[in-house]
Amino acid sequence: MSQVENVAAESTNSPGRKNRGKLQISKTQVVFEKAGIYVIALILIIIGSMVSPQFFTVDNMLTVLRSISLLGMVVAGAAFVTYIGEYADLSIPAIIPLSGIVAVFALPLGVVPAVLLGMLAGLMIGVMNGLVIGYLRANPILWTLAVVFFMEGLMRFMMSNNQIYPDVSPGTAGADFIGMYRSEILGIPTIVVVMLVLLAISHWVLRRTKFGQQAKLVGSAYEVAKTSGINVKRTVMIAFVLTALSSSVAGILITSFNKTGVYYLGQGYDFQAVTAIVLGGMTLSGGRGSIVGVLGGVLVIGLLSNLMTFMGVHPFQQKVVIGTIFILVVGLNQYQLRKMGKDHG
Amino acid sequence: MGNFKLSRFVDNNRALLMLMVVFIGLALTHPNFLNSYNLTTILKSASLYSVVVIGFALIFIIGELDLSVGAIVMMGGMLAIGLEPQLGWYGSFAGAALAGVVIGLVNGLLVAKAKIHSFIVTLGMMTIVLGLMHIYSGGDTLSTEDYDLSDWMDTAEIPLLPPLVIITLCLVLGANFFFNKTRFGRGFFVVGGNKETAWLAGLNKDMYIVLAFVISGMLSAIGGALFSMSLAAMPANVNLANNTLMAVLAATIIGGTIMSGGKGNILKCYFAVLLLSTIFNGISLFGFSYDIQIFVNGVILAIVVLYEAFAVYKHDAVKGQNPKLLQSMLLSRKR
Repeated sequence: MSQVENVAAESTNSPGRKNRGKLQISKTQVVFEKAGIYVIALILIIIGSMVSPQFFTVDNMLTVLRSISLLGMVVAGAAFVTYIGEYADLSIPAIIPLSGIVAVFALPLGVVPAVLLGMLAGLMIGVMNGLVIGYLRANPILWTLAVVFFMEGLMRFMMSNNQIYPDVSPGTAGADFIGMYRSEILGIPTIVVVMLVLLAISHWVLRRTKFGQQAKLVGSAYEVAKTSGINVKRTVMIAFVLTALSSSVAGILITSFNKTGVYYLGQGYDFQAVTAIVLGGMTLSGGRGSIVGVLGGVLVIGLLSNLMTFMGVHPFQQKVVIGTIFILVVGLNQYQLRKMGKDHG
Repeated sequence: MGNFKLSRFVDNNRALLMLMVVFIGLALTHPNFLNSYNLTTILKSASLYSVVVIGFALIFIIGELDLSVGAIVMMGGMLAIGLEPQLGWYGSFAGAALAGVVIGLVNGLLVAKAKIHSFIVTLGMMTIVLGLMHIYSGGDTLSTEDYDLSDWMDTAEIPLLPPLVIITLCLVLGANFFFNKTRFGRGFFVVGGNKETAWLAGLNKDMYIVLAFVISGMLSAIGGALFSMSLAAMPANVNLANNTLMAVLAATIIGGTIMSGGKGNILKCYFAVLLLSTIFNGISLFGFSYDIQIFVNGVILAIVVLYEAFAVYKHDAVKGQNPKLLQSMLLSRKR
C-alpha cells in the first residue's frame, strides 16, 4: 500500500516543485485548485454581508447549515462513486423514499428497529447496484437511471399512489420518529451533527483506510489497479453500498421532516449531489478531490440559494443562476487542471 | 455455428422482433387493439419520442450524453405556443427550432471547445432551460385558441397516417438515410468510434461534436413544437421532460446504440420507440395505471442494460484466449 501513498504524496507535492519543464504554475493557481470552492464561499459571504446585515449572523448561518445538511449526508457517500470513476449514482431518488417508507412501515417495532430496517432497505439497492456495476461492469448512469424508474413505478404501484403517515400521537414511536429531524444536541440541530459526523467518517475512510487508498487508484486508472492486484470489483461495489447507506440515513430524516413516506421525496437529490460533488473539486474522470472540498461544494450551494432568497430572486431564476454557475465553475476548474498538466481528458 | 448466427441476427434486430412479438401478443389478447383508431393513437403517441430519439441516438453514436433533451422538448413546445400570436405558426415553429439550435450550439461548444464533460454541461443546461421555461410560462400551461392546426395534424386523411405521423416518419427516414448512406453522415460514426483516429484521418472532430449537439437540440425542440401544436397546449410540467428523457434513453439502448459511441442505427431506435409506445398502449388498454408504465419502462431498460453488460462480461472473460481450447478445457473439467 505504501506505493499508492507515495504516488498520492508525489502528485500533491508536484505543483510546488520548480523543475517542471515549461509549465508555469503560480502559487495562486495551486491555492485556487486546493481551496477554490472555499474562496467562492467566502466571496458569497462577503456579498451577502453587503446585501443585508442579517446575512452573516449565527442564526442565518445555522439556517444555511440546516438547509444543506440532508444534501451533505447524501454526498458523504455519493462522493465515493464519483471518486472511484463511476460518474454518479442516479438511483439516490429511489433509495431516499424507499428507506423512509420502510422505516414508517416498521415503526410499530420501535424507532431503532425502524431506522435500521429503513437503512437495510436502502442498503439492498446499494448492493444490487454494486453487483451489477462492479461485477458485471454495466454503465453506471444507465443502470442507476433504470433503477430509479422501476423503483418509482414499484413504490407507486405498491402504495397505489398514496402516502403513508406514521401515527404521531405523543408517546408513540411515531412521535419520536418525527422528532428526530427537529431535535437538537447542545443547541445545534441533530441533522447538522449527523451530517458533520458522516462527512468526517467518509473523510477518514477516503484518506486513512485501505479501501480509500484503493479507491484512489481504481478511480485514477482502473486497468492499472486491476493488474496490480486490487480487487477492483469489490472496491466499486463498496462505493455504491456506501452511497446507499448515507442516502438512506438522509432518506429517513427527510421522511421524519415531512411526516409522510411517499415516492417523490428524493426528487432532485441526484442532480444536487452531482452538482455539489463536482463543484467540490471531484472530477468525473475519478481519483481526484477530497471530502473537505465536497463539503465546500455543498456549502456554496446552500449559501448561494440563501443569498438569492435574501435578494428576492424567484426560485425559478435561482435554478438558472445555479445551473450557470455550475457549468462555469466546473469549466474553470477543468481549464486550470489542463493548464497545470493534470488533466488528460 | 448456425445457432451462433441466429443469436446474432436476433440481437441485431431485437427492437423489431420484440415489437412484432408484443404486437402479435396484444392483437391476440385484446379485441380493441387492432382497430385503426388505436393503431393511429400508438403512432401519434410515438411521434414525440421518435423525433427526439434521432438526436439522442446521434449524441450516443458520437460518444457523448445529452441529458438536456427533455428540457429542450419543453422549451420547444412552450415557444411554439407562446410565439404563435406574434409570429404565426410558421414563425413560432421556426423560433422554437432556432432556440433549440442555440441551446445545442452552446452545449456543443462547451463540450468540444471548453472540453467539459457532456454529462456536466447538459446537466447544467437542463437546469438552466427548465428554469427559463418556468419563468417564461410563469409555471402555467400555455394554450392557444387556434385549433385548426391541431385538428389538421391529428386527422388521418390517409388511413392510419395523420400528418403528424407522416412528418415524424419523414424525419426518421431522412435521418436514417443521412447517417447511413452519406459520407458526411458516416463521419459521426467514425468520430464516435475513436476521436483520435477520426482526427488523424482528417475529420474535424470538434465540428462533428458541435454539429451533433446542434442537431440534437434542434430535433428536441422540433419534437416539442410538434407535440404542443398537435395538442394546442403545453403544460409546464417537469414530468413531461423527465418522461421524455426516460423513454428516449430506454429506446436508444434497446435500439442497439452503445454509450461508448460509434455504433447505432436510427431506424432501430424508431422501432424501439414504437415498441415502448405499443407496450404503454397495451398497459392502458388492459386498464392498468400510469405507475405500471414507469415500472415496465424501468424494468425493460434494466434488462437491456444487464444484457449488454453481460455480453461484454462474457466477451471479456474469453478475451485473448483460444475459444476452442477453452471449450475443450471446460469439457475435460466436467468429466
